[in-house]
Amino acid sequence: MQPVRHGNVIVVRKGIVMDEIRLKDYRCFREDQTARLAPLTLLVGENSTGKTSFLAIVRALWDLAFSHTVPDFKEEPYDLGSFDEIAHYRGGGGGKAERFLAEFRATTPSTRRMSKKLVSQKFGATFTKIGTTPYPVGRRFGSDDCWIEEYIEKNHAYIINVKTSRGSWEKRLDLDIEERPMIDERRIPPIILFEMALAFGENREEELGFKPLGDSPAFGPDDYETLRRFPWYDLSEFRVRPFASAPVRSKPRRTYDPSRPTRDPEGDYVPMYLADVFTRRKKEWTELKRRLQEFGKAAGLFDDISIKRLGQRDSAPFQIQIRKSGDKLKGPLRNLIDVGYGVSQALWVITELLRPDSPPLFLLQQPEVHLHPSAQAALGSLFCQIASSERQLIIETHSDHLLDRVRMDVRDGRGTLKPEDVSILFFERNELDVHIHSLRIDGEGNVLNAPDSYRRFFMEETARSLGL
Amino acid sequence: MCAIVDVNVSHEVFGSNRPEAGEKFFQRLNSGSLHLVVSRKLLAELTYGKAQKWIQQGILAGTVRLEATGSVDRNEKELTRVGKCISNDAHIIALAQISGARLLYSNDIALHENFGNKSLIDKPRGKVYSTNRRKDFTSAQENLLNNRNLCRSR
Repeated sequence: MQPVRHGNVIVVRKGIVMDEIRLKDYRCFREDQTARLAPLTLLVGENSTGKTSFLAIVRALWDLAFSHTVPDFKEEPYDLGSFDEIAHYRGGGGGKAERFLAEFRATTPSTRRMSKKLVSQKFGATFTKIGTTPYPVGRRFGSDDCWIEEYIEKNHAYIINVKTSRGSWEKRLDLDIEERPMIDERRIPPIILFEMALAFGENREEELGFKPLGDSPAFGPDDYETLRRFPWYDLSEFRVRPFASAPVRSKPRRTYDPSRPTRDPEGDYVPMYLADVFTRRKKEWTELKRRLQEFGKAAGLFDDISIKRLGQRDSAPFQIQIRKSGDKLKGPLRNLIDVGYGVSQALWVITELLRPDSPPLFLLQQPEVHLHPSAQAALGSLFCQIASSERQLIIETHSDHLLDRVRMDVRDGRGTLKPEDVSILFFERNELDVHIHSLRIDGEGNVLNAPDSYRRFFMEETARSLGL
Repeated sequence: MCAIVDVNVSHEVFGSNRPEAGEKFFQRLNSGSLHLVVSRKLLAELTYGKAQKWIQQGILAGTVRLEATGSVDRNEKELTRVGKCISNDAHIIALAQISGARLLYSNDIALHENFGNKSLIDKPRGKVYSTNRRKDFTSAQENLLNNRNLCRSR
């Protein structure tokens, strides 16, 4: 864990890696299914099989679980539309699903002092249509054998269920639900936390008013203590959002005017960020430049990158310059706009990956666009170097070269990623629905659990090409 | 079901002018109902270009399994040390032992003998698919390709 600055906020980065996503009735995912996530997860499959929708729900769950905000399903780069576009269409007389469900499981180091234990956490939400947008009407926080669930019943009753190793209990609350029949994002973590904080005296657990379910005993001091130590509460300060990149990134310009480098999906801010680091943080620039150039050389994109100020002041316009050298001859510095388009397109993504305050979760759409196969492969190596138990990369890709490089780097032990740190999610369409196959790789780089349909197109093309 | 293809017949499976038995074998591989198992040593010996290309694509697709070098090498050394293999392809026997593959496509008589040797390959016993006698597709070969028990569970 290390303190990092994001805008004006200093936060402590906690290594959260989502291990699993569960979906039901969301977009093209009708069946109740789970997909395995790892520090490096690659999403593959034909066009229109829900890969981008998958990235969108990861961010939505993150926002709801950690940033305590109701997800905006129209926020770029994932504009999914209104509820009617997001809930699964069952086909025929089935119509639209009235609700959809999404859930994740994550592993995090305990935030308690002196504890090295990993904590398993689950978070789930049920969304329904309020107005035209999807809104969470149920949430479930779980950890090991303990969970807290809150939801709105159809009769507008607001229910809290809790469960510990001793039993489960329920409480019905009289909220002003006529006016607001939905989960209130301002009450995250669940209202139970606020009630516990307000409970006072020797019989605090009785004050909470939980009624036993089934054969459960009365809610007691041990249960109160279990809930008080519920690890979800520790995460309520997690403020760093995932980085989500668009498949199309902004065009390079000959000259940039300095402005505030605020993140956006198309990478408009990256030149400003580079100039800002170059001007104000020399030590950080030296390290960032070294790492950018290291990748640039490995990918065959550039050997040198520099910022050229067109004036003495910080407010002066600037240019980004790139140098490509031969084996013996050093090439000239050239403006970013005068070199291949792939350089600027890749630069936006790799800068975000390599900057020292990069977020703990990346959601990238086709980072390989415009890149030569050798550069796509180098990108695969970079992902293997960056993905870890503290930084998770979920990448939608159509690149064989990228995928194969990841497979080989893991096999050959280049970097720290182990086979279990990589997940390949294969999205397969069947009529109106999509099934996600969770594939693994082993120490020899074999792809495990692959269905016959996985890469069938490539096998058929190869057989045809060989005349077989 | 998992199978091993010996280098000396790779052209019969992956070549242009295949015998019917080779073509049927390839069809099973290509449909995914028969999975090929290879080792790095076998891949290195496999100089037939078409076979190499198809196998590399198969590894990416998860239909061809590349076995770990270390364990296959260890078994091969042990087989060589005890002298049980009369063929010079101890690494193929080692590959079958490690991978669980129990169907071998080969025309090497000495290797046939080793592959059928219960003390080397057992549970289930190894079976041989060969075109030494006939190049057409026989009912015995069809039975072998339809046998779903020719792979030891790992």
